[in-house]
Amino acid sequence: MELLIIFLSASIVNNFVLSYFLGICPFIGVSNKISSAFSMGLATTFVMVLSATVSWLLFNMILVPYNLEFLQIPSFILVIASLVQFVEMVIKKVSQPIYRALGIFLPLITTNCAILGLALLISMREYSFLESIFFALGAGIGFIFALMIMAGIREELELTDVPKPFRGAPITLITAGLLALAFMGFAGMI
Amino acid sequence: MKKEKTLLQEFVKGIDEINPVMKQALGLCPTLAVTVSAINGIAMALATTFVLMFSSLMISIIRKLIPSQVRIASYIVIIATFVTIADLVMKAKFPAMSKALGPFVPLIVVNCLILGRAEAFASKNNPLKALFDALGNGAGFLIVLFIMGSIRELFGSRTILGFHILPHSFEPMLIMILPAGAFITLGLLMGFKNAYTERVKRKEREDIVKNYRAVSKLESTNQGL
Amino acid sequence: MKIVIRMILTLTIIGVVAGGFLANVAQWANPLIEANKKAETEKAIFLVQPDGKSYQQIKNTNFEIYKVFGENNELVGYSIAHEGNGFQGKIRLMVGVSSDLNKIKQLEILDQVETPGLGTLILEPPFRKQFSDLSTDPKVNLVKGVEPSKPNEIQSITGATISSKAVVEIINKGIEKARILKERGAL
Repeated sequence: MELLIIFLSASIVNNFVLSYFLGICPFIGVSNKISSAFSMGLATTFVMVLSATVSWLLFNMILVPYNLEFLQIPSFILVIASLVQFVEMVIKKVSQPIYRALGIFLPLITTNCAILGLALLISMREYSFLESIFFALGAGIGFIFALMIMAGIREELELTDVPKPFRGAPITLITAGLLALAFMGFAGMI
Repeated sequence: MKKEKTLLQEFVKGIDEINPVMKQALGLCPTLAVTVSAINGIAMALATTFVLMFSSLMISIIRKLIPSQVRIASYIVIIATFVTIADLVMKAKFPAMSKALGPFVPLIVVNCLILGRAEAFASKNNPLKALFDALGNGAGFLIVLFIMGSIRELFGSRTILGFHILPHSFEPMLIMILPAGAFITLGLLMGFKNAYTERVKRKEREDIVKNYRAVSKLESTNQGL
Repeated sequence: MKIVIRMILTLTIIGVVAGGFLANVAQWANPLIEANKKAETEKAIFLVQPDGKSYQQIKNTNFEIYKVFGENNELVGYSIAHEGNGFQGKIRLMVGVSSDLNKIKQLEILDQVETPGLGTLILEPPFRKQFSDLSTDPKVNLVKGVEPSKPNEIQSITGATISSKAVVEIINKGIEKARILKERGAL
């Protein structure tokens, strides 16, 4: 039950993009097409779960027992960067179609603050191993949700007559604001 | 050949021409997340500028020693080091502010603004220039965060920097301090900035055309004589 | 091959220098951070026990509880620090109770990340003052929409039921734990 609440809270109620502002760069950058938004979201979710697992182990098995908490930020970011690189290599070897679909997004994920933010939040909230995995899954699925809804809206937005200065980033931000407001409606759920 | 920019120009360009938030859309996460009040915005921008300044300087000093294959990894380690320092200093000396900014201080490490300046500028220029570029970008970031924070604080809690500005009869707009308000404020701010830039440019073009007409008219009258 | 060695060497040097540097900064900062935390806890202990002059932590428990003594070294009550899940994250609070554990004196919220303007109202006096002189026997009860009528009832914040409920639950659990300690004679 606890796990389910963590999952729902991370994916819908406290959506990473719309209420924690994590992962805004790809949210604004990649969300113009539903198909690419889905691929990006999937790749991010995958890296999220993987990096949450590895960084949890790193933090609780090495950094805390040896009193090295001050190395948290450098070590987390290195773990994420090497994981992304590793995933890229594996996907390239295993499946060319998947690589073509996800490949270009992978380098972008390293500087996606949602990944590091997730790892930091997990250690701040002292989640257990299982809780961390559910939290990461929820965050990833929430990210896919936000990205795809946004992409859907933006595909329609292209056909509308937006005042010229507001085209691009400004109108996307305002749309995101309205979306965030809509997501507030879930607040009473848990 | 491109004209060399003076140090002052390197500084000034960060504020307007290549403003990190307004022009490059970099560092949006902290811009949206911490600007619930003006003071939070200022603190966040100062912490970011501190990291940007020292990591740009450091990267520029050792830029010739780093093999290009591992440069990004090296930059990240350097940036992460300065971020940790900023985080520890804030926790030790300004615990209340550190609490208010929460995970967004450690998250400076993935602020694309810093890695962006490292890759695009500090790795190619001398330390002095890198320093001024970093300061300029930091100042540009500070201005945007301060404006965002002030607007949201003013309408969300009637104050700016804790001083009461709006009368008590004004009902605070809750939406301004909620996430939705952050998105909408930044969107409007960027839109209006674009509109303003557009107008200035059009005015300049019109002036050029006017001058040209005036000159050609003068010339034609000259020929007439 | 040469380039690989150079790559590894560069990264190692940067890593070692950065790590060493950080270790020094951490050595300087950690005691200060500890002191800040201690000062904050200490302040809260006395804030929720207005007659308190000195305190003593009760050891060997799985939560934080402090005995608080008055001017003549008599026991005036206990300050209990307890935390639990709020709406967006952890809420940590300090509650001062009388020596028989049946009455709350004051409440202080130490840490919270609730929604600004809604959940953060738990920090404001209108909500917090309700806990002053509140009966905890039977346990604190949250009512919604109606005026509290019993001595153990408090009213929920409109639009922030989850945050209000969380605060009440954290207090109830903390006092529950203290009662168990008392029954065992460990208080």
